[in-house]
Amino acid sequence: MRIIVHNDKCQGHARCWAHAPDVFKLDDEGYILAGDIEVAERDELLATRGARSCPERALEIDRAFDALLDRFLFNQACGGFNT
Amino acid sequence: MVRDFSLFTSPGMGPTPDGDPHAAVACAHDAPSIFYSPNNTRDGRGTWVITRAKDQRRVLHDTATFSSHRSIFASALGENWPMIPLELDPPAHGVFRSLLNPLLEPKRVMVLEPAIRERAIVLIDGISAASTNCDVMKDFAFPFAVSIFLHFLGLPDERLDTFVGWGKDLLHGEGVKRTAAARTIVAFIDDLAAVRRKEPTDDFMTFVVEAKVDGRPLTDEEVRGIGVLVFVAGLDTVATAIGFDLAYLARNPKDQQLLRREPDRIGLAAEELLRAYSTVQMIRVAKKDIEFEGAPIRKGDYISCATMIANRDPAEFENPNTIDLAREDNRHTAFAYGPHRCLGSHLARREIVIGLEEWLSRIPDFRIKEDTAPITYGGHVFGIENLILDWS
Ligand code: SF4
Repeated sequence: MRIIVHNDKCQGHARCWAHAPDVFKLDDEGYILAGDIEVAERDELLATRGARSCPERALEIDRAFDALLDRFLFNQACGGFNT
Repeated sequence: MVRDFSLFTSPGMGPTPDGDPHAAVACAHDAPSIFYSPNNTRDGRGTWVITRAKDQRRVLHDTATFSSHRSIFASALGENWPMIPLELDPPAHGVFRSLLNPLLEPKRVMVLEPAIRERAIVLIDGISAASTNCDVMKDFAFPFAVSIFLHFLGLPDERLDTFVGWGKDLLHGEGVKRTAAARTIVAFIDDLAAVRRKEPTDDFMTFVVEAKVDGRPLTDEEVRGIGVLVFVAGLDTVATAIGFDLAYLARNPKDQQLLRREPDRIGLAAEELLRAYSTVQMIRVAKKDIEFEGAPIRKGDYISCATMIANRDPAEFENPNTIDLAREDNRHTAFAYGPHRCLGSHLARREIVIGLEEWLSRIPDFRIKEDTAPITYGGHVFGIENLILDWS
């Protein structure tokens, strides 16, 4: 799972960090660091909760990439592993 | 477009025994998304009332159209200077936010945690050694919250009662009392700044008088604007939140049991209680004429974004009037939204959570003492005046 960070929207509520301090990193003023976040599978639940708690909607959960991968791996029709 | 609605005078907004002012304002969701309320400030001015969370976000984000400079404190003195950073608009706002943010960012607040916890423990142990009931507001919530913030400002505890009195007069007093309190607080902050200029220590006020923005030291008015805001903001908001939270737990033994059994839930529960019992009304001033959701807002009009209304918006929260301590994805805006997100929010959160944790772990099953009724009220900051809990 990937989280797209719109850090221009962040206002430093730190709700994301409260749920998943290992996933969301804050700067010295308490705002989220720039850069999208690649979330390891074991952190997905907490990361999702954190992203959904953001009052500014600064964190967008990007599942498109996972979905693509799924389709690629499991849907033979779209030309995945067809050996 | 005009409705008889006021956070000061509507039913349930004046001091009410066993009142529930938050439920009383939640009825605003039966109204249109914006309406005009002719009497919705302390001085009897009208405001536009924005009832939907989505629209409040629009207002609070659009700092180019909606100014935060209301000079609410200074105007009580017939003056006009901003409390900083609350009443500054961008870009000046950002300069002061960057200066002050590091003092109150989450990781720094964690450093203050042991001192906060110790203060809670001392107070609660004192209460439980003395009796099996107490007035939570007077005996715990106020002394706790105010002493933390005195500590932060670098002031001794001895004057705690005096400060709480000033705060009460300022926020809930009428006319003359309020002006006198405002004058007293300004004089106090000015004095404190002067003392710290001469004899710096390592407290907040010293930091402010020694700080620089844009390569220059702060003016006296800026120092005062910051000092007054920190003073006023810390006086009763956290105490009030703790009061509403403990009143809820006293009336809902099942939830009280749940948090006793699983203290790990207190953090999340505190967020839900912040949502359901938000206490602050934010007001913005229109900088120009604008059509907003069909309403003709004119330059200079007041626009009210009451957190207690937004946080019970059914479009935003499922069953908004149900308190669900396990509610997830709780994007409440008790600490406001946008650039003016409450600077002290992280400290406030920790105080509330630690206060509840220590109270629950040291005081057995509690309820509201028979034949007593906590008095609640609406207004600019919602409040609870007394809360007699009994665990005999
Ligand atoms: S929750 Fe949103 S606003 Fe808050 S720190 Fe995280 S990204 Fe920023």
